[in-house]
Amino acid sequence: MLIKIQIITGAISILLLYFTFEMIRKEKIREEYSILWFFTGLATLLFCFFPDFFLSKFLVRITGLYYLSAVVVIVFCFLLLIVLHFSVVISQLTDKNKEIAQRFAILELEFKEWKEKNVPG
Amino acid sequence: MANGRKCLVIIPAFNEEGSIEQVVENVRNHLPQSDIVVINDGSKDRTSEKALSCGAKVLDLPFNLGIGGAMQTGYKYAHMKGYDVAIQVDGDGQHDPKEIEKLVNALEEQNLDMVIGSRFVERSEYRVSKARRIGIVILSRVISMIVGYEVTDPTSGFRAVNRKVIELFSSNYPQDYPEPEAIVFLHRYGLSIGEVPVGMSARSTGESSITWSRSIYYMVKVLLAIFVDCFKKGPLPKK
Repeated sequence: MLIKIQIITGAISILLLYFTFEMIRKEKIREEYSILWFFTGLATLLFCFFPDFFLSKFLVRITGLYYLSAVVVIVFCFLLLIVLHFSVVISQLTDKNKEIAQRFAILELEFKEWKEKNVPG
Repeated sequence: MANGRKCLVIIPAFNEEGSIEQVVENVRNHLPQSDIVVINDGSKDRTSEKALSCGAKVLDLPFNLGIGGAMQTGYKYAHMKGYDVAIQVDGDGQHDPKEIEKLVNALEEQNLDMVIGSRFVERSEYRVSKARRIGIVILSRVISMIVGYEVTDPTSGFRAVNRKVIELFSSNYPQDYPEPEAIVFLHRYGLSIGEVPVGMSARSTGESSITWSRSIYYMVKVLLAIFVDCFKKGPLPKK
């Protein structure tokens, strides 16, 4: 049973690491965002190599959760972090976007007034 | 009234081509010496052209920012141009420009930082739907409790503010339903707010979209925003 999980998580983590790396290489993702994905990939990879440590010692001791449910919890925590991180990023982008739109509108009016004054015809 | 002070009337408008000309003309007739700026919040209709043709300055936002972002654009402009007083008037024609003078006078005489034109200080013939009325009463109670004096019409967007508030709003203005939140925001900065009774007419064109479900959504959102504001960091140490 455990070997199946090991193979699945191993494959997932390798794929994840590969895609993250590829996206950085093609400049489709900024390094700062890739860090979380890298850590997610690494954590899954570590789990795939040492499932016993994670499942029966480390996690059980700190959380009291066993086996599959523990895996779900790990994955869920990482996804939660990533989604939270994205909310922060989106909020910042929205603010900056608003700022640009406002400045743009004001500059446009200023420019139009300047042109009317200084450019004949 | 002006006493040589520079006044700017800010009119946010989103798809208001039916009423914007009349609003601008009305304001111009009552306040010939003040400047008028229409914030076109990414309208899909001819709001911008119409406002321009009756001689208002027009700030065209490249896309719709919502009322908060649009109002703030006006305050930024007022701050940049060094206006002493900014007056916000809705683009749908429900605010009567002949009352603006009252607002500005109150600002000056009572030495206030912001004056709100209230529909409810005195009995007026202004009719609001039941849903809306209940919402306003609840908001009014909550806000009065926070600021410590009575604010009868926290949702009114008919306001005049002085230089201090222009500066503050140009750097920070609440987003979605900004009117009630702005009161609490100013209170946190220790600025004074007053109300004067004004008459308002019902919308001249367009439909107000306030229904029961929307009222409830509005209330929850505004109360939540005010609640969250209570946890924000206090005002920056200024002086």
